[in-house]
Amino acid sequence: MAVVADAGVLYGLLAVGAGLATGLAGIGAGVGEQGIGAAVVGVVAEEPGFLGKGLFLMLLPETLIIFGLAVSLILMFAWTPFAAIVTP
Amino acid sequence: MLRPVKMSRVVVAGSKDVIAPVVEKLHELRLLHIVNYNGSEPQFEMGKPIGKAKEYSEDLIKLRSVTRYLDLKNKAPDKTYPESQILSEMDNLLNNVGADVIATYERITVIDAEVKSKQDQIKALTPLAVLPLPLEAYYGYDSLATFVGTAATPVDADVARVSPVNEIYSGSAKNATFVAVFVPVEKASEVSAVLSEHGFSETSVPRLEGNVDSAMATLEGSIKSLEGEKAPLQKKLADMKKQHEDLMLATDEYLSMQTRKTEAPLRFAETENAFVIDGYVPVDQFSRLKSELESAAGGRLEVSLIADKEADELVEKGEDIPTQMDNPSLVKPYELVTRLFAIPEYKEFDPSLLIFVFFPIMFGMILGDIGYGVMSLLVLIMLKKKFRTPGWQQLINIVMIASVWTIIFGIFFGEIFGPLGLWGRIMGHISEHEMELANQAGLYFGEGVFGSLGRIGFWGIDIFPMDRLATNAVLLLIGTSIFIGVIHCSVGSILGIKTELNYGEKKHAYFERLPVMLFQVFFSIALLGLVMGQSLLTYLGILVVVVSVVMMVIGPEGPMGLAHVPSYVSNLISYLRLLAIGLASVGLAYAANQLAFYVIMPMLSGGATNSAEFTIPAIIVGIMVLLAVHFINFLLGILSPFMHPLRLHYVEMFTKFYSAHGGGVEYSPFGHVRRFLKA
Repeated sequence: MAVVADAGVLYGLLAVGAGLATGLAGIGAGVGEQGIGAAVVGVVAEEPGFLGKGLFLMLLPETLIIFGLAVSLILMFAWTPFAAIVTP
Repeated sequence: MLRPVKMSRVVVAGSKDVIAPVVEKLHELRLLHIVNYNGSEPQFEMGKPIGKAKEYSEDLIKLRSVTRYLDLKNKAPDKTYPESQILSEMDNLLNNVGADVIATYERITVIDAEVKSKQDQIKALTPLAVLPLPLEAYYGYDSLATFVGTAATPVDADVARVSPVNEIYSGSAKNATFVAVFVPVEKASEVSAVLSEHGFSETSVPRLEGNVDSAMATLEGSIKSLEGEKAPLQKKLADMKKQHEDLMLATDEYLSMQTRKTEAPLRFAETENAFVIDGYVPVDQFSRLKSELESAAGGRLEVSLIADKEADELVEKGEDIPTQMDNPSLVKPYELVTRLFAIPEYKEFDPSLLIFVFFPIMFGMILGDIGYGVMSLLVLIMLKKKFRTPGWQQLINIVMIASVWTIIFGIFFGEIFGPLGLWGRIMGHISEHEMELANQAGLYFGEGVFGSLGRIGFWGIDIFPMDRLATNAVLLLIGTSIFIGVIHCSVGSILGIKTELNYGEKKHAYFERLPVMLFQVFFSIALLGLVMGQSLLTYLGILVVVVSVVMMVIGPEGPMGLAHVPSYVSNLISYLRLLAIGLASVGLAYAANQLAFYVIMPMLSGGATNSAEFTIPAIIVGIMVLLAVHFINFLLGILSPFMHPLRLHYVEMFTKFYSAHGGGVEYSPFGHVRRFLKA
């Protein structure tokens, strides 16, 4: 098993991981919101007063992206073993 | 401010003789929120309309049909009318003008229908032009069956097979073959079967005479003359709309008002000689209501207050106390955000003030750019003159206040249309020496740029303006976002505790709402301890977190309460969006500036490295790119900083205290705000 010792390569892998974390989480949230959004539009067409509650429901899955983002931020900035490798 | 206006439950009882002046006075005062009588008491019955209720509603229906024909929309009034003028002109408006409008509109409808049918005929005639027959040859036979239409393949041979006696004409038009087949009536069904094998589809031939071309010319001529007649009629309608628009809307208002007044007794309880009105009035307005009503009725009426205890019983039976939000004018626009979610219940808190405090700060923190802030302020000032309905005005005010915060945060972040842009050029760059010092002190927030404003900061930490894209700044903003989150959620939790206490639910208050707050506050304290390396803080945090979890288990939900714990953590993490969305928009702005100043302009100037060497065309192209990207970023930059703080309020904060007991009923006093009518 080869050990990757080059800091540049490690940093690149970190960046890829961070990108995947946010990107995949975004896809997940999008899939979640799709169904809710369609349903909310249907309800609001019938009853405009539901808009606020509909928005509330629609925005719920957004938290997923933020989880992904939090992981990315930790990978890029906050995880000290990696940060130590990266910062010269 | 955080509470709705206090209401008193009142009962107005009086002699039926004075019902008309009382209704008139109530309508004028606009104070009493009437509770409709539901017919539950055997000794009372529902009231009957007074006066000319039927006439008014008939007139209203007539007027509405006229306004529908004229396509009148509700709009801001240009001028107002006294009631006397409405009364004198109403008859003419409803009967003469109304009849004229209806007649004109109906004539236009008839013309439209005729034009449509003639156009259909032309459409049917066009393919017939390829056949050599006059139009009268297609119909009027007793012993012949005719088939006219398109066929996919030649039909002659097969038709001749089933019906030796035949007459077939064909011609091709627009990649389809057009055929007219004449056969004896008795062969019709067999021929029809044969034709369908050839993909025959029939077209109907208009019953006209002469040859096809001249018939089409006649039709086109009559369409033209019909449309010539329609144009002046439409102009007439438009003129009438212009002339009578305001008066019609004013009359509509007058009639609606009268209908509401005459039909008001339907909401009262009545006996043979008396009427009773139930309702709510703001506490401080009670004496005014009482004295005004009693003087209007000449003493033949009694207005009395119902004791709190009795009123509570009514509420338990299902009566809703109306909510009137009570906020200073600066906070008023934010009631729109509250209302979008739900009207607060009478015993709940009205969160508008909190939205006023937190929403603009969050918006500003996300967008944080002097350039975008000033631009959105300018755009909004323009829009404010254009969109005059209350809803739009409120929305515009919300974003205007938020734009001011955007400018303030723009100063903190040192951004004018993004970093690397104008700020550095206007304010000057930080010197190498100072950059080195800041770096050593751990206060280096990227290519910090400052000039005449100097470093902005407090407690000796002169960190602003800072570059949001720098690592240290991102870490600082993560902390700030979570900090705002903790404050935001805690305020929500405190209100939640108080709300539960208002409803008398002590167990819910102390073992459901309180642990959430403890959990969130001390969870973040534990994290802070970890980050700062203060193990004491961490242990303290973990200890209280454990205590709060135990409290949740003891609480009304039991061990099931633990299921919510992950969501309390995610609530806090959710506030990271304050940083994240900001970074996204800064990133785009940065990219735009980088592209224009460091890629396009040098490239087009033949590799110039200094801004003084840029050629004019390079600068023009660069500025166009800047405008385009910044415009897109600006549009996105208004939308997402609006939606996401909205979500943080709705999902993270409101769930802590708001609307757990269902929405409230808005205080809508009996009466009318005059718009087109003079008082």
